[in-house]
Amino acid sequence: MKYMILVYGSQQDYDALAGRAVPGQPTWSAEDFAAMGAFMEEFSKDLAGSGELVETRGLTAPVHARRVQLEHGVPVVTDGPYAETQEVLAGYWIVECESFDRASQIAARLAACPGPSGSGGSPADRTPFADVRPIADSRNELEL
Amino acid sequence: MTGRDAEDTEGLLRVLAPQVLGAVVRRYGHFDTAEDAVQEALLAAAQQWPGGGVPANPRGWLITVAARRLTDLLRAEQARQRREENAARRMLPGEWLAPSADQPAAGSDDTLILLFLCCHPALSPASQIALTLRAVGGLTTTEIARAFLVTDVAMTRRITRAKQAVAASGVPFRLPPGPERPQRLGAVMHVLYLIFNEGYVTTSGPGLHRSELSGEAIRLARLLHRLLPGDSEVAGLLALMLLTDARRPARTGPDGALVPLAEQERSRWNHACIAEGQDLLTAALPRGATGPYQLQAAIAALHDEAPSAEATDWPQIVALYEMLMRVSGGPVVALNHAVAVAMAHGPHAGLARLAGLEADERLAGDHRLSAVRAHLLELSGDLAAARDAYETAARQATNLVQQRYLHTRAARLTTSDVNP
Repeated sequence: MKYMILVYGSQQDYDALAGRAVPGQPTWSAEDFAAMGAFMEEFSKDLAGSGELVETRGLTAPVHARRVQLEHGVPVVTDGPYAETQEVLAGYWIVECESFDRASQIAARLAACPGPSGSGGSPADRTPFADVRPIADSRNELEL
Repeated sequence: MTGRDAEDTEGLLRVLAPQVLGAVVRRYGHFDTAEDAVQEALLAAAQQWPGGGVPANPRGWLITVAARRLTDLLRAEQARQRREENAARRMLPGEWLAPSADQPAAGSDDTLILLFLCCHPALSPASQIALTLRAVGGLTTTEIARAFLVTDVAMTRRITRAKQAVAASGVPFRLPPGPERPQRLGAVMHVLYLIFNEGYVTTSGPGLHRSELSGEAIRLARLLHRLLPGDSEVAGLLALMLLTDARRPARTGPDGALVPLAEQERSRWNHACIAEGQDLLTAALPRGATGPYQLQAAIAALHDEAPSAEATDWPQIVALYEMLMRVSGGPVVALNHAVAVAMAHGPHAGLARLAGLEADERLAGDHRLSAVRAHLLELSGDLAAARDAYETAARQATNLVQQRYLHTRAARLTTSDVNP
């Protein structure tokens, strides 16, 4: 069975990660940033090594997003449709593993991802999460 | 088996791989199946030679083993496809008179034909790159998949599709005819250039594997230069790679952050690489037309020769960029030209050049334009405007490492504003 692990972030989170001072948000030093990168690389490499990784991608900042919305029957394009603090999809992993529990166990490893060490907002304020969702491989699975 | 033996064998196999594949395809056709057969022969050699010794004629050994394996594979395939109208594509009796497969003199020509085949215009650039690395570079699918951060399965699919596309296109296994050749050689050089950049642009993190891609591109460019020693653009391409790669040791700081050219510690550059690139360029420049690779190599050489950013021969670089704009225009070349103008004639001259580029749609919203403007504004002393431009560039950039670099520049100006 395939599962999708999704993580989220707001434009503010991206800005902090990119080294910009954001009020009320801890800053990411160069070391913090490098540690996070190393963790993510190790995480994906482990999954590739165990043969469970199908695909993984990170998404660029929400400010680069475009929304195509149907209005009065006409598709209308809006640049950067999200509010600064709105959490949107930031990246995902697709894993193929034996059970939902195993997929959840993989997602739980993300809890060990290093964060910013700078001041401004304590870690307890933040409750980051990852969602795990089973993937329907065919239309039949959805119709059952 | 010693590690040394295994390493020697690996080196030998990578040199022989394209020659063997070329020979087998020329003799038997069936590019896609032949490639599988050669991979199996190489695998057998990698297992047997380090312990049992290298045979007297390693190339002949590999061709024989691969040909036997190909026969097996084709038999299995033909049993499946016998009734299909595949016959039209099989060899005509006239073609059986091709030179024998293990005739050594043809080795180099076969490698060249393979390069042309892998960079066939019917394939997408991504497929051209993957196929070139596998068929000519002798890299395994796993190595290529790791370098491009995709799964083995996805890369296997990409390579298989590419091989099938080459087989289906029905291109005969020979050098492209005369009038087509310059264009096809251009495609080959472009693929090698893309492989090099793929390895050079990434600097840290998952990119560590990718630096090997630059090395591989240099190895393939050397091979191409050996096959076509009289082509000055091929020499220019190899020189460009060497002169650029020479700066790699100084290009990243201890925390993996990018160090701009002007701030790099020049003693850490690879001076043997620089000397080799300069020699290639000196030999190539007087021959024939000066193409874009030679011009870019000449610019890289001027940077490499300079003891510091200030002492660089900027007027000469400006002149070379002007020539480059004439032979292969493009907004990024114009942007680099503006930087060179600023260095030669002052930041205001550069900013005036930039103003002319702002209307170019291809640069609209591109962070490089804002980053260059920020840099020139900083040089001109307009720190507030520079800071805004750095922030704009950071917002436009999609790469987090670049964003961090641009935010750091902006933050530095904020502090120096407070304490002038």
